[in-house]
Amino acid sequence: MATVDLTSLDNTIEDGKHRAPLVLGGMDYSDVTDAVAGVWEKKQPAIWWPIFGLAVSLTMLFGALIMHLFFTGVGVWGNNNPTYWAFDIVNFVFWVGIGHAGTLISAILFLFRQHWRTSINRAAEAMTIFAVVCAATFPGIHIGRIWVFYWLFPVPTEHLAMWPNFRSPLLWDVFAVGTYATTSLLFWYMGMVPDLATFRDRSKSKIGQFVYGLLSLGWTGSARNWHRYEMAYTILAALATPLVLSVHTVVSFDFAVSQLPGWHTTIFPPYFVAGAIFSGFAMVVTLLVPVRKLYGLENLITIRHLENMNKIIMATGLMVGTAYSIELFIAAYSGVASEQFAFYNRAFGNFGWAYFIMFTCNVFIPQLFWFKWCRTTPWFMVIVSIFVNIGMWFERFVIIMALCRDFIPGSWFYYRPTWVDLMMLIGSFGLFFTLFLLFCRYLPVIAMSEVKNVIPHADHGHEGGHGHEGGHPATSH
Amino acid sequence: MAHSHSKQPKPAGPKSKTIGLLAQFDDPDSLVAACERARDAGYEKFDAYSPFPVHGIDPAMGIRRTRLPFFVLAIGLTGCLVALAMQYYTNAMDWTKIFPGYAFYISGKPLEISPANIPVTFEVIILSSAFATFFGMWIFNRLPQFANPLHRIDRFRRATNDRFFLMVNADDSKYDANRTRQQFEEWGATAIENVDMDLTDQEIPKFFKLAGIVGLFLLLVPPVMIFRAYGSTNRAPRLHVVPDMDWQDKYKAQQTSPNIGTDKEPVYLYADDRAMRAPVAGTIARGDLQEDDRYYRGYEPGTLPPPAQPVAADGSSASFVSTSGPSAQDSAPAAQDPATTGQYPGEPDWIETVPSPFVVSETAIARGKQRFEIYCSVCHGYDGNGNGLVNKRALALAATGQAQWTTAKSLHDPTVKVQPIGRIFDTISNGRNSMGPYKAQIPVEDRWAIALYVKALQETGIQPAAGAAPPAAPQQ
Ligand code: HEC
Repeated sequence: MATVDLTSLDNTIEDGKHRAPLVLGGMDYSDVTDAVAGVWEKKQPAIWWPIFGLAVSLTMLFGALIMHLFFTGVGVWGNNNPTYWAFDIVNFVFWVGIGHAGTLISAILFLFRQHWRTSINRAAEAMTIFAVVCAATFPGIHIGRIWVFYWLFPVPTEHLAMWPNFRSPLLWDVFAVGTYATTSLLFWYMGMVPDLATFRDRSKSKIGQFVYGLLSLGWTGSARNWHRYEMAYTILAALATPLVLSVHTVVSFDFAVSQLPGWHTTIFPPYFVAGAIFSGFAMVVTLLVPVRKLYGLENLITIRHLENMNKIIMATGLMVGTAYSIELFIAAYSGVASEQFAFYNRAFGNFGWAYFIMFTCNVFIPQLFWFKWCRTTPWFMVIVSIFVNIGMWFERFVIIMALCRDFIPGSWFYYRPTWVDLMMLIGSFGLFFTLFLLFCRYLPVIAMSEVKNVIPHADHGHEGGHGHEGGHPATSH
Repeated sequence: MAHSHSKQPKPAGPKSKTIGLLAQFDDPDSLVAACERARDAGYEKFDAYSPFPVHGIDPAMGIRRTRLPFFVLAIGLTGCLVALAMQYYTNAMDWTKIFPGYAFYISGKPLEISPANIPVTFEVIILSSAFATFFGMWIFNRLPQFANPLHRIDRFRRATNDRFFLMVNADDSKYDANRTRQQFEEWGATAIENVDMDLTDQEIPKFFKLAGIVGLFLLLVPPVMIFRAYGSTNRAPRLHVVPDMDWQDKYKAQQTSPNIGTDKEPVYLYADDRAMRAPVAGTIARGDLQEDDRYYRGYEPGTLPPPAQPVAADGSSASFVSTSGPSAQDSAPAAQDPATTGQYPGEPDWIETVPSPFVVSETAIARGKQRFEIYCSVCHGYDGNGNGLVNKRALALAATGQAQWTTAKSLHDPTVKVQPIGRIFDTISNGRNSMGPYKAQIPVEDRWAIALYVKALQETGIQPAAGAAPPAAPQQ
């Protein structure tokens, strides 16, 4: 398939008239299939095994510690009066936040017709789901009597005659995170079906044919099916967009609806959502840079993609920085002594060091992306995004450590995590990476059918291609 | 999976049936063009297959816009109503008999649907719409469909890679094997192939019948077992899968203290063998301080005489003496005459008016009347004259020697009439002679209300029943 010669095009050309293409190297349809299916067909790079081994061991450690927690009690954690919430909620908010970038890329950028999302949306959505799995684990195991976890849901119980309190933010969390996990899973799986059909048709082993045949539901690529499929995809994107904004809003309500100085603020919902997208994009960059390198996907996940993501990181980082400053201003301006104390304590109190880490990692370090070299050099951006992830974890830590100095100075307390706390945090990363590595190994890491759609083809040689147009096929001409 | 057999030689003859003709194209634009021409040629039952949604193919094929969005809308709205109803039922209604709701005011939020119910409603709308979109799309597309003759065609595997196909169904009215093939060639197809359905595919393998019969029998086993269990009796305790909070490790009131030794040599955690602990000396449980003597005990503070020695012998709680009793004379000569003041020697100074947090009002008297009729009328009668049902029955039994009974005193008896309200309150609280105490059953405020009502009753001018005091004559 002769196409426009794109090999000579380079991502650094951004003169408006001439946008960098989304797929480099003059790849045609079968090249895309080969490249993406190659990730699954070819032997895994040697490094896959040690990383996978490490991740699986950490996952097993995580599982063992959860059992330890179940059999011993929540006392194995460092949470104690007055810091009833500690690592568990920090990790929960951290992981839920990570997930947001996936949905943002797959749903919001889709609705805004940002075609550059096509190469990265699949991996980002997978990341969303795995992050939500990690997130849901923490409050799940914190409920104490785990064997009655179903009390979280409105299940009729005969002899208890009780129901969840639907007016409580903690219950909203159950519904928000539950809906988010389910909808993301449906969205991810639906988007993957055409690509699973490709795997089915390429699979050489009987097991592969059977499993991918089952998963691809007999997909043929019929135009009539595509029509409804695209409609459904658009609707799901339209549903996921308000959903993703609602999830971190509801998470922030856990704090904002309470009556604690430093928590009871209306800025929390937007600030949490911006922070979530910020941390999520950082995680996508952290994951995709090695993935594109290891699997040789540089032509599909191009520097242009990475650069765009870095710009988003910088923008959301500035939003988060603004929110931090506004919080301080409001506290100063409020004239409420306990509010002022809460913020003074945050910055200069016993956890001032955490506040310093948070501010540096989230506000100052991403400013490096103003320099073009910084946002287009893969190894460098990974370093920056790892800092952002650390910073965002500390952001939640800082917020929650407000509990250490509550209204009664007599009960003030310096929170210290136990070894179980620390190992569980590390273990959750193990779970996340195990799932992600398995995803790379067995599932299509890039949405082939979507990428093929943005490849400029011979007859319509316009750059950037035309992406999914939902039910309006004629609009982009 | 059907496609896993695609390497087999195609079965010929009556074993297979042609269901359509398939044309391959090498790029999306030729496919769109071919679709347009197929439509112009009058074909109706045809479909295009491509690795990605091809641009402009919907108008080319004449695909009508799907009704999926309306389906989603309907389900989403239903989800909204269900969510609101669920929240109202569980959090605002508690009068249903089975699975009653739990209507409690929590953190001051109203029970009815309020902004606090928005998040859950919103999430349920999204969740139900997402399910509707996902499952609706597959159902509208008639998928999953695992057995599809197309999957048997080797060439067709590239439909999910880089080739584009057009198939005209054999049951289309315009279909003609040769003519259609010719048209495909004209439209630039790079390959043309018959799509055959293997009819043996539709035959049920022999072992299925046997397996089906065996399976059916096995399916019957669980219901039969359940039915059997249902019809038989069992002495074992009921299966309790999730114990919720039914059993807890704890000691209840009046239990013996836990044995931390062995069965043979028991060692009790507490030396006195009781699981319950007495309050630490010198402490008072929260809410039990009850400092105010006037309110809680009905006398002027500081007037309680030291524990009475003179008449403790008869075991009565206070040094009460009947009007004719001798003890009044035994103790220090009273300043006043109990018969006219109701202040007895050896007793504190009873207060004459109701004490302060209690407020006299019509509702208070009404409350007193109601409580009196519950607690007192059984013995003292509705008019307070000692002719309640219990009293009558007890006297009847006493007359035949089956019981011992002291007549409930008429509250209009002059000795009662003169008593200050504080003493009436004390009688209700601690009992008097053979009348039992009501402190445990009746809260302080209600006791004052009853005392007030008794005082009001005494003002009505009802005369004490004649001969109320002596046991009634045998009535048989
Ligand atoms: C179980 C029957 C019974 C009930 C119920 C009962 N009483 Fe009595 N009450 C008696 C008897 C018997 C006496 C006479 C006690 C005695 O002189 O030995 C008595 C005596 C009294 C006296 C006179 C005490 C005195 O100073 O001689 C008063 C006042 C009185 N009751 C008020 C009440 C009030 C008010 C209630 C309701 C809270 C009440 N009683 C409920 C049986 C009862």
